[in-house]
Amino acid sequence: MSGMRSRTRRGATSITLLVGGAVLATATGIGGSPAWAIGTAVAFIALAAGAFVWAGGSGDTAAILGADRDERQRGLDRDATAVTGVVMVIAALAGAVISIGRTGNPGGYGVLCLVGGVAYAGTLAVLRMRP
Amino acid sequence: MSSKLVIVKNRVRDLRVARDLSQAELGTELGVSRQTINSIENGRYLPSLPLAIAMARRFHVSVEAIFVIGDEEDV
Repeated sequence: MSGMRSRTRRGATSITLLVGGAVLATATGIGGSPAWAIGTAVAFIALAAGAFVWAGGSGDTAAILGADRDERQRGLDRDATAVTGVVMVIAALAGAVISIGRTGNPGGYGVLCLVGGVAYAGTLAVLRMRP
Repeated sequence: MSSKLVIVKNRVRDLRVARDLSQAELGTELGVSRQTINSIENGRYLPSLPLAIAMARRFHVSVEAIFVIGDEEDV
């Protein structure tokens, strides 16, 4: 494995954070809050730097932050992602119920519930066909 | 409704130590981390079939000689 590829693998999460932070900061700037946009950019750069340093370690979290994971670490990442999804769905459902109680419609929470439901059904359909 | 939890015991530690290998060395040979070897040895992680077969080939034994179905527990 070359050094360049190793750094790229190590920086997988950092690159994701930088791209996400750039998009968020740009949206914040376009939305008319340049100070918040700069703050968001700085915060995400700091997070990306922290993730890059952490990913240079040798533990499970370091491997998961990078892209060089073995089967157990991929499983840990998958399980953590699944639990995160369940928590997000519960939060969206609770938000929808509360929003319906207050305003009579689920608002943005309803959209999140719909996206979650469609994503689950679609993923299940695709995974069933996977060899 | 109750289900059974199958306990799988293994001899990975014995086989590794007998060959004077560290967890890190075995992990490198098999393409997994030291932590994963440690988790397998301590029964916290059940390896995939390809990894189990790779271990068996590395130790020149059968998969059944490494992994043994133990007792069942109600869960």
